[in-house]
Amino acid sequence: MDGAAWSSVGYLLSGMLFYGGIGWLIDRWTGHSALFLPIGLVVGIALSLVLVFVRHGRSS
Amino acid sequence: MTADVQTLASESGCHLFSGCGFPSPGLNVFEFKPIFSIGAFDFTKPMLLALISMLLVIGFFWSAFAKPKMVPRGAQNVGELGYLFVRDNISRETMGKKGDPYVPFLFSIFFFVWVMNVMAIIPFAQFPATSRIAFPASIVGVVYVTYLVLGIKNQGFVGYFKNMMFPPGLPKAIYFLLAPIELLQGLITRPFTMAVRLFANMFAGHMLIVTFSVGAWYLLGFHIGALFSATSFLVVVILTAFELMIQALQAYIITLLAASYISSSLEAEH
Amino acid sequence: MMNLAADGVHGSLGSIGYGLAAIGPGIGIGIIFGNGVQAMARQPEAAGLVRQNMLLGFALAEALALIGVVMPFVYGT
Repeated sequence: MDGAAWSSVGYLLSGMLFYGGIGWLIDRWTGHSALFLPIGLVVGIALSLVLVFVRHGRSS
Repeated sequence: MTADVQTLASESGCHLFSGCGFPSPGLNVFEFKPIFSIGAFDFTKPMLLALISMLLVIGFFWSAFAKPKMVPRGAQNVGELGYLFVRDNISRETMGKKGDPYVPFLFSIFFFVWVMNVMAIIPFAQFPATSRIAFPASIVGVVYVTYLVLGIKNQGFVGYFKNMMFPPGLPKAIYFLLAPIELLQGLITRPFTMAVRLFANMFAGHMLIVTFSVGAWYLLGFHIGALFSATSFLVVVILTAFELMIQALQAYIITLLAASYISSSLEAEH
Repeated sequence: MMNLAADGVHGSLGSIGYGLAAIGPGIGIGIIFGNGVQAMARQPEAAGLVRQNMLLGFALAEALALIGVVMPFVYGT
């Protein structure tokens, strides 16, 4: 699997970490309990999937 | 029945119908009393096991390769088999011929991790040193420094991070969104997932074996529980065989990942 | 830690929830890699194409498992 399958987990995690973290900060700022954090997580997963597609899923 | 489980069960000393609950093993299985301490530094069983496995690996391969012969015999045969496995199935698969300088590094990681893992099912050791996060984390730390330094040396400081953060073939606007993910992946989550994968597999495997061993001990007695106890013990035997496979597999995977990260540092991904 | 309905049962509901949530991705990843390997064995010349699509499917299924990891943090307490 030349490490590609393993690193895609890393991409998903870091996307969730970054955009979920931004969502969490917005939550703290605006005083919501859990509104922007889930949105951020979903956005992060979507962007990470794009990245996985670009890195590994394209026939080169 | 593992050694630490025996102490665990005999401390509680209870069986089914003797009026005490199931002494379920938890994180306490992974905590050991220090063998000796120097000041604030405690020398514990995992450290001892790691030291023993280090000495085992060094001793074995020293005896195998100290006086190499043209026609290998005995230990040298086994050593060469291991070396060829790492070179052909891990290094050449991911890096090709130019990865050959890094084979000794990968070779040491593979056998060190494997011996530490196998300690889980050796009688009286009965504990995988890699199920304490510090051991995988420090091994991965060495790999991390290696691939960062190699990447910066081969592609230049700017070039390395440019290759890492900006995969070719995307519209410019989207880089703004994707570059932070790439940076986070390359610098933080990549080593993190690598360490956690080894740690979590060994942790869960040891936990499973301990749980079923304690179950077999707890259900023992002259009543219907003996049947379940026998079943539980059978599961322990099956799980031990399964663990033997998982241990080799995890050592192989961490070496494969180290090789693929080093290869991604040697040249930019297309 | 929260008390369950049964007397004397303690534990983290989040970990039970994650255990349940990991069933689906586990089955999914198994199907993806099983069928992927089968496809590669049947048609070795298409191995590259199969591997790429396999990785995409794997990433999609894995995303569900990772959502399961963070949900207790989001809606916990």
